[in-house]
Amino acid sequence: MILQRIFALALLLACAALAVMAWPYQAAFSYEPVGPRAYPLLILLLMGLALLYMLFRPAPIVHSDEDPELDRATLNKIGACVVLLLVFAGLFEPLGFILSSMLIGIPMARLYGGRWLPGALIISLMSVGLYVLFDRIMDVPLPLGLLDVLEN
Amino acid sequence: MDTLNYLGQGFGVALTPYNLVTALTGTLIGTVVGLLPGLGPINGVALLIPIAFALGLPPESALILLAAVYLGCEYGGRISSILLNIPGEASTVMTTLDGYPMARQGLAGVALSLSAWSSFIGAFIATCGMVLFAPLLAKWAIAFGPAEYFVLMVFAIVCLGGMAGDRPLKTFVAALIGLFLSSVGIDANSGVYRFTGDNVHLADGIQFVVLVLGLFSISEIFLLLEKTHRGQEAVKATGRMMFNFKEAASVFVVNIRCGLLGFIMGVLPGAGATLASAVAYMTEKRLAGASGTFGQGDKRGLAAPETAIGGAACGALVPMLTLGVPGSGTTAVMIGALSLYNITPGPLLFQQQPDIVWGLIASLFVANVMLVILNIPMIRLFTRILSVPNWALVPVIAIITAIGVYAVHATTFDLFLMIGIGIFGYILRKLDFPLSPLLLGFILGGLMEQNLRRALSISNGALEILWSSPITFGVWVLTAIMLLVPLLRIWRKRSVQRRALADV
Repeated sequence: MILQRIFALALLLACAALAVMAWPYQAAFSYEPVGPRAYPLLILLLMGLALLYMLFRPAPIVHSDEDPELDRATLNKIGACVVLLLVFAGLFEPLGFILSSMLIGIPMARLYGGRWLPGALIISLMSVGLYVLFDRIMDVPLPLGLLDVLEN
Repeated sequence: MDTLNYLGQGFGVALTPYNLVTALTGTLIGTVVGLLPGLGPINGVALLIPIAFALGLPPESALILLAAVYLGCEYGGRISSILLNIPGEASTVMTTLDGYPMARQGLAGVALSLSAWSSFIGAFIATCGMVLFAPLLAKWAIAFGPAEYFVLMVFAIVCLGGMAGDRPLKTFVAALIGLFLSSVGIDANSGVYRFTGDNVHLADGIQFVVLVLGLFSISEIFLLLEKTHRGQEAVKATGRMMFNFKEAASVFVVNIRCGLLGFIMGVLPGAGATLASAVAYMTEKRLAGASGTFGQGDKRGLAAPETAIGGAACGALVPMLTLGVPGSGTTAVMIGALSLYNITPGPLLFQQQPDIVWGLIASLFVANVMLVILNIPMIRLFTRILSVPNWALVPVIAIITAIGVYAVHATTFDLFLMIGIGIFGYILRKLDFPLSPLLLGFILGGLMEQNLRRALSISNGALEILWSSPITFGVWVLTAIMLLVPLLRIWRKRSVQRRALADV
């Protein structure tokens, strides 16, 4: 309940900020009666009204057996996963696809309950395999990064 | 007769060896994707878009590939429902109710093949319905102007909320977030940069592949993290694989009924396969009365939702192709794929590019036949895929998702944006917001704004154009009814509660 209120409030503030941001959007000259500002403002207004209602009358979240309550350990894991993904995105080009996906794939396999050795084996094979499949066979260009030297 | 002519032409397109191989590949990929936990048709189709583009597939082959993947996913989703009692996606929840008990009774193979058959009949009925009604609807839709389109899209969004059941407000908010996100980027009419924060990468808006993969794949990766501790044994599929004639005959009436129902529900915007399967199951349960053993492995209870899903999956393509207004998350993704190819679905598509439309419809027939034939001998292989552990699967999903996003623009900005959207999507999911309205809003948003502005340009700013024609007025009335549905439902629930209190 309280989380939902916080979320509604945060989104409401974001709406207000975006509306302020949208206020000066005006076409220098225009042939049409509706400029670029009206539509986003309309959407933000509707969203704001819905969020206001939600702020005061949040709907109860029904917990099924499928999703257990979040505990500290799970939250830590999710945090770790986010960090890994961010590292992946950051190193994607400098390190190259193969190295960066090995670098984050192996700890990630560990995070999902795999053991080091089989995890490392499978992820390494998959990284190289996916590179060959996508870059070489399917023409989706992927960065080689540090491994560039092997190319020539 | 025209229709049959065109259909023949469509089969000419679909039956070329190249497109047959495409459809076969698509059905295989789709089945595997649907089978894996955490991946559904939305991710499957979204991941394949950049790849189909990179492969340089011609538009009709790309569309056939995506449609085959879509149908394959619906097929694959059932396997984990029946063998693991874990629905692969929301629409197959109903399948677990009788499918899993059947598997426990040693009829796993029969349950799988019977559900494949049911789904085939549903899809077949719906595809026939599509052949009959789509051209009519397209002919009628040519009369639609921008005002009509705008109102129709409002109706589609409101329908989502009305059909969503217990959480209409959250559905609306999700759709509005999607509508808003679509306005990020440079405004095509005036050249004003909107909400880009001076970031070059946002100038042409949020790429929809980035949005889809962030919302669905990345948030799913986080969700799977919560479930690492739970292991589940799949029921072994042994013994008889094929259903016999008696079993097929005993559910045939159910198949026909639920196939029609599924098609109608699929055509309606916002209803889709999830609702269709639930309604089909409930209806059949009531019709069977005391003679049914629903919930304990009744064959009708398995056939009803599966037929409805098959019908709804194909029915959902009708509004997408004829009006250009998608009715479900997956068809919204397909619209996005088409726009990459510079194809605008809508009534004109039927006149200008009949090859694409009829090729697609014909390939639906072909893909359905392929799926039924494939499914039965390959059940053992598919069940083996189910035992791939999460720790091997999830990193690979993450890596493939990154490839899909990187393939669009080759910038790492998109990767960061995807992660951000993924976190946001995860929070939304935890707070019980449905995600497919967000996606639908995102796809409809741009079209909606364009049509609104075009309509008001025609009328020189007078708002009457939005409700003056009979079509717009009629759609507004329908919209008002759809808005009242959730209110009515809440009111009825309250009055039941009050009566219950009075009885005590």
